[in-house]
Amino acid sequence: MPGLEFRNVRKSFGAVKALTGVTFAVAEGESHGLVGENGAGKSTLLKILAGIIHPDSGELWWQGTRLSLASPREALERGIGMVYQEMLSFPNLSVTGNIFAGRELTARGGRLLETAMEARTAAILDELHLRVRPRARAESLPAAHRQLLQVARALAFECRILVLDEPTTALTDAEADHLFAVLARLKARGVTLLYVSHRLPEVFQLCDRITVLRDGALAGTFEAGNVAPDQIVRAMVGRDLPPRAEHEASGSFGPPALAVRGLTRRPGFRNVSLSVAPGEIVGLFGLVGSGRSELLETIFGLHRAEEGTIQVGGRPLDARSSRQAARAGVALVPEERHRQGLFFNLSLRHNLMIPARTIAGDVLIRGSREREETDRLLAEWRVRAAGPGAMPDSLSGGNQQKVVLAKWLATKPRVLMLDEPTKGVDVGAKFEIHEIIRRQASHGLGCLVVSSDLPEVLALCQRVIVMREGRIQGELVGEAADEESVMHLATSELKDAS
Amino acid sequence: MKRFWHVRELSTVAILVLEIIFFGWYLWPEGNRSHPFLNAENALLILKYSSIYGIAAVGAAVVIISGGIDLAPGSIIALASVVCGVLFVDAGWGLTSSLLVALAVGLGAGGLSSVLVVAVKLPPFIATLGVMGMTRGLAFIITEGRYFDLSSKLQGGWRPMGLPADWVAPLIMVGLAIVFQVLMTRFQWGRQIFSIGGNETAALFSGVAVGRIKTSVYLLSGLLAALAGVVLALVQGQGKADLATGYELDIIASAVVGGASLSGGRGSVMGAVLGTLIFGVLRNALPQIPGATFYDRLIVGLAVIVIVVVDQLLLKRGE
Repeated sequence: MPGLEFRNVRKSFGAVKALTGVTFAVAEGESHGLVGENGAGKSTLLKILAGIIHPDSGELWWQGTRLSLASPREALERGIGMVYQEMLSFPNLSVTGNIFAGRELTARGGRLLETAMEARTAAILDELHLRVRPRARAESLPAAHRQLLQVARALAFECRILVLDEPTTALTDAEADHLFAVLARLKARGVTLLYVSHRLPEVFQLCDRITVLRDGALAGTFEAGNVAPDQIVRAMVGRDLPPRAEHEASGSFGPPALAVRGLTRRPGFRNVSLSVAPGEIVGLFGLVGSGRSELLETIFGLHRAEEGTIQVGGRPLDARSSRQAARAGVALVPEERHRQGLFFNLSLRHNLMIPARTIAGDVLIRGSREREETDRLLAEWRVRAAGPGAMPDSLSGGNQQKVVLAKWLATKPRVLMLDEPTKGVDVGAKFEIHEIIRRQASHGLGCLVVSSDLPEVLALCQRVIVMREGRIQGELVGEAADEESVMHLATSELKDAS
Repeated sequence: MKRFWHVRELSTVAILVLEIIFFGWYLWPEGNRSHPFLNAENALLILKYSSIYGIAAVGAAVVIISGGIDLAPGSIIALASVVCGVLFVDAGWGLTSSLLVALAVGLGAGGLSSVLVVAVKLPPFIATLGVMGMTRGLAFIITEGRYFDLSSKLQGGWRPMGLPADWVAPLIMVGLAIVFQVLMTRFQWGRQIFSIGGNETAALFSGVAVGRIKTSVYLLSGLLAALAGVVLALVQGQGKADLATGYELDIIASAVVGGASLSGGRGSVMGAVLGTLIFGVLRNALPQIPGATFYDRLIVGLAVIVIVVVDQLLLKRGE
């Protein structure tokens, strides 16, 4: 049955060829995975399907007729619903307002039919097993529910094709399972799913077939039942990945790189004590909402702790600003590189040099020296970019993340805190980022890695500290840390309730 | 990025040159009469009056690049002229000390804006709207409806530092434009302003002292507005509470015409000053066109839109 077809789709942005003639088909009613490294062309393809950008050449077909999508609205009207990675919701509107935004039910003269819309919303929420009031404001909902709002919106528009772009990035496992259950029901109703994700296990769990893009071209379409994850990864990167490096024993002398005692900031976290030795990579695992990011931001001087002490390299640190913390040798690679990590109005040189030169208290900008150092940093961390003058938005997500990492390594920190360092990053870049972290640790840097990606934590860290609801639940060292033991700690009841 | 600015400023220069050529051609006199627009005297006149906008535009551009907005310059200009007048004319102070107090008042107004923005965390629009009202009000309270005539007290041959008085304001404007262009592009201070304007959260997460830098920006804008007010008092020879009404919007328009983005992170001081010259030429030349007297505000408004749209088109083609 002819479903959704991409026929020889090409798209260039200036000199960058995003898509170089992509042809593949998604059967109607199928759930189809779309994978590829960042920069492979997935986003461009999705934007074309959503009517946001137009292909230079090539065609889209749906059920035997040609689609020419002039605008996102037209895509919606043709039954193509999108669920984006970054949640595009209107935080100030109600759930109903979000679902019907742009296509409100109206009586003659434009009067809004609130009751009808709320009834329809309630029905859709019910179908999704979402216990949310139609009148609740979107900003009051947890991330997972806001994600499902987009699915609800697509349902309200009676969409026949649902496109999901990395929908689980911000979700916990339980929330992701809920989403998958919803998707399974949609599939049973005959909705065609196009599912984009970096998380291969999800893709295998959900999809019938998997299409791999590489460098803007088709690398192949595979039956999910007849292919191993390794084959998909090879198709994505076009080469074999190096085996994971063994942990090196961390012989640490002298004071810990970071020592936190009894740190409290309600309601985020309470009585947190931990230490990171120089050269050690410590994992901090916990579900979303366990207070991990706030803990890191407090150590980094962005919030004030109510109680407790922080020591960096044996010296007490009472930072009132990120600048003071950074001066003491604390670096934080934040969770959201777009919002917290990069300046999109400034070139890579300025992005890379701002923390180091700022905390050094320089007055002048020494352009030629900075260009040299930027060249060195870009080469050392293998950032694929045109040069120091390139703008951050010309880089793929993985390379952007390497820039954020590199700008902090340029400050020569004592302790490097990383919040979800490989979130939304492709497999190849993920390995490279892990390699960077390991290499820095072997030179004596103490690393504290927060991640919701349990395999990542286990692969990277010698020691895993588990947080739950703002408290440290326990610590697992070496062999004792496996998926089961860590998840058990992260989800079990509090040890003591004081 | 440097090249990018370069291009932006070049396009502003190009607009200015085209404008001058146009008026030069349009106002070409018949016979042997002297050109009413293209002559040295008129050029100095344009520079003299533009420099009031231009000096304040330097500060306003820096605020806009930092992602903020300052609505107070017009009122601060008036307040500074009034303070200068009341001290110099009424209280019989020396000229220098009167000027310094007027500048300090501007600095204080900028300080108030910065406290409201940085410590109270008001949106800059609201904070400076309040400061705008308060400074204008203060100017009226001081004058009680009077105006101070500085010109009669200034000796005819007043030559500060041996320069003709008419040259002082343009020279200050050009000097400030150069100094702050360099500060914004070659100094950490300027780069941090661009970083805050581009992404304030990322600046905070990058160890930039966001509060301190933003404070400096509003202080600067207040100080330079007061300097413009002092210059205005000397150029026009009077201190009045209703001077410079609406200048803040003209100044913001100049910054935008000069390439600044109101969402922050983009723009240049040099461009903003060139922008004030574009408007200065318009304000000077339009009244000389017979029958255009009542059209000048309309044309100035239209010019803002046309210039920014053309600029955007050029920018798009350059990408």
